[in-house]
Amino acid sequence: MRKRIIIRITLIVVLILIGISLYTIGKEHKVLIDNKGISIGGITYNADTTYKVWVDNLEIGLLEKGERNVAKVAGTSHKIVIEETKDKVLTGEKHEKRFKLKTNEGATINIPAIVNNANEWINKKYIGGE
Amino acid sequence: MKKQNLTRTMNPYVKFFIDYSVPIIIALLVAFAIPLSGLSGKYFIKELTIRLSRNSFLILALLIPVMAGMGMNFGIVLGAMAGEIGLIFVTDWLIVGLPGMLLAMLISTPIAILLGYFAGIVLNRAKGREMVTGFMLGFFMNGIYQLVVLYGMGNIIPISNSNILLPRGYGIRNAISLIGIRQVMDKFIPLKIGGILIPIGTLLVIATLCVFIVWFKKTKLGQDMRTVGQDNDIARASGINVEKTRILSIVISTVLACYGQIIFLQNIGTMNTYNSHEQVGVFAIAALLVGGASVAKASIFNVFVGVILFHTMFVVSPRAGKELIGQAQLGEYFRVFVSYGVIAFSLALYAWRKRVEKENERRKVMAFKRVLLQNNNTTGGDKL
Amino acid sequence: MKEKIKNIIENVGLPRIIIFFFLVSLFVLAPVVGISLTTSINDVIVRFGMNGILVLSLVPMVKSGCGLNFGLQLGIIAGLLGAVISIEMEATGFAGFFMAVGIAIFIAVILGFFYGVLLNKIKGDEMVVATYVGFSSVSLMCIMWLILPFKSPNMIWAYGGSGLRTTINTQGYWFHVLTDFLQIKLGSHIIFPTGTILFFTLLCFLVWAFFRTKIGTSMDAVGSNPDYARSCGVNVDKMRIISVILSTVITAIGILVYEESFGFVQLYMAPLYMAFPAVAALLLGGASVGKVSIKNVIIGAFLFQGILTMTPSVINNIIKSDMSESIRIVVSNGMIVYALTRKSKVRS
Repeated sequence: MRKRIIIRITLIVVLILIGISLYTIGKEHKVLIDNKGISIGGITYNADTTYKVWVDNLEIGLLEKGERNVAKVAGTSHKIVIEETKDKVLTGEKHEKRFKLKTNEGATINIPAIVNNANEWINKKYIGGE
Repeated sequence: MKKQNLTRTMNPYVKFFIDYSVPIIIALLVAFAIPLSGLSGKYFIKELTIRLSRNSFLILALLIPVMAGMGMNFGIVLGAMAGEIGLIFVTDWLIVGLPGMLLAMLISTPIAILLGYFAGIVLNRAKGREMVTGFMLGFFMNGIYQLVVLYGMGNIIPISNSNILLPRGYGIRNAISLIGIRQVMDKFIPLKIGGILIPIGTLLVIATLCVFIVWFKKTKLGQDMRTVGQDNDIARASGINVEKTRILSIVISTVLACYGQIIFLQNIGTMNTYNSHEQVGVFAIAALLVGGASVAKASIFNVFVGVILFHTMFVVSPRAGKELIGQAQLGEYFRVFVSYGVIAFSLALYAWRKRVEKENERRKVMAFKRVLLQNNNTTGGDKL
Repeated sequence: MKEKIKNIIENVGLPRIIIFFFLVSLFVLAPVVGISLTTSINDVIVRFGMNGILVLSLVPMVKSGCGLNFGLQLGIIAGLLGAVISIEMEATGFAGFFMAVGIAIFIAVILGFFYGVLLNKIKGDEMVVATYVGFSSVSLMCIMWLILPFKSPNMIWAYGGSGLRTTINTQGYWFHVLTDFLQIKLGSHIIFPTGTILFFTLLCFLVWAFFRTKIGTSMDAVGSNPDYARSCGVNVDKMRIISVILSTVITAIGILVYEESFGFVQLYMAPLYMAFPAVAALLLGGASVGKVSIKNVIIGAFLFQGILTMTPSVINNIIKSDMSESIRIVVSNGMIVYALTRKSKVRS
């Protein structure tokens, strides 16, 4: 009798754990990507050219100067790859950054900041709700 | 209900026709209507692949109650509702992809178990009238579902995603986009043959369920259920808890229906919050009966034959109606008529045969008694 | 004293008592939330007259042991055909109404006969088959409404030219013939539909009297104890068929009364679920699958229509939202489920 109760409780705990991991793996986050000028720590970086953006190997598209786009990603670890284009041609100059998102976080990424290797190229925000 | 020949005729051909009268009639109708509709073979194959993968799980969920003698489980609607509640939450929490679908299944399981348990208890109290009661129970639950989803959600039950709430602030919208989990299971192992997407993921899951059902029939619980289905008294005499077994069969069926509805909806990609589950019971049961099943006997073979025949008829009717009389609407009414008619006909046929069998039994017993009496009279004994 | 209360609760059934008190509380609350009590009561009475005959129609079949008539739609179809044919013939007023009734009765007898024969072959499983026979016939009639050759411009689609419309207005034909008959107007708000109520009372009386006749009592015996009836020389099968025909005929009359009061003839899928409110009302009035009386019809129809009328107005004013539809579904179907789960005599 006791053995049955223990097995059942273990089963429920396992299921809850599975549920939590499914929740984390599957939670969708909105990541905003800006190709705009930004001031960090007193220094201003400007957007100078168009960039092609990939997030998690999925092509988001071209971001011109001053444009903002949004990527919807699911899970915790992500990577963003941007490639410079000059006069509508890819120059081959790539930048890659990895970032992690907690369950209730959304983020805003700034391209000029990435290009200039600034530390605060990503701004994470807590999205209220669940 | 003892499993015996329900027809008095000895002729195997006639017997075959009566046993399989429903699928034969439908097959004839379909054969007549296909060329009439003017639809191409490729279209059929594509439609049938989709519908097969979409609906089979739900229909398979009906098999276990038949085994346990509960007849056609109209209560699978309850499982469908549980699945939809799970999907509402997952959509609210913005969980996407395969994890989203699996999470929906996970959280709706306890709801399905609860509803199934409730249905099982109610059905046990309506022995002999399980199908009508199940049918009405489905409607009743629909009302409760509406109260919960249309009034409770957003109010007492916290929903944060305003996309799925009605403008007034509480209550779920009529249609929810399930774009996050759209076709996740179908595309799990993508395979395209000749431009048609073969939903390997879903088909694998269906195959697993079939294996499970076959295995289940061989387990002790499965055997208990079959005994209960055949004869309640014998089962009770063997020490089987008849009530509990019946409830269990309904619980399993409800949970499977819950998953089946989630699979169905992930294929379609949109959920009609208040309508998606309405016809689930009718169409699934009609399909099963079209496949040759009866109230007392249903097999996996019936499921697949049924899906193919029923859904072909479904696809073909509007077009055929248009060609025949010039109004597509006619075809749509026709397909509804066939769905209901098939159930009415199968149930009537089964009920009639059951009565004939009972009459036969009674006559046999009477004849036997008469013979005994006669023998006793001739030998002069006064003991029977 | 406690024993007595317990007995009453067991006999009447807890859900019925709950619903009764629920209705009373609605009536009490009405003036509090600003709803005119007199208008409400008037509404309830009108709807009671409208729907009562449909509830009454269930009585013969319950008495004869055929169970609750979930195949009500057959009688409704007979009534609809009567209505539509009478409008096609441009008959108006009382003549039109009674012509519709006459045609409907004729069709109802035929349909009822076949329905009865079918039910005889499946004794014991009538209810579930009846439900689907009812559904399939409604769907079949949908096809029929489209292709039957009706010509009256009031009934067919305006631009298409063929096929009947979904709803047909009875205004100008026999709208309110009964309702307005001997109407009693008290003040500006109360219009007592004397004609309808009189007609309903008349039919109730006829049914009650019928079951005091020889055929009626035989029918009753067939329902309560078929073997005993058979041993008395009663043809059980024939009695059941007669009861089914009777039920179908009363249903046909019932839907016509409903239409003359409501003002519209509703075709296509509208009659699909019409059996359920009638059954629920009957059960609410105290009937069960095997036992029924005229008292059940009157009490049940009144209670049911009371809830249907009062719930939307009162609850909507309190909670500012329209829960009435869902509550109606829960109450009516819940009653039916409850009645189906009560133990009753096992009939062979």
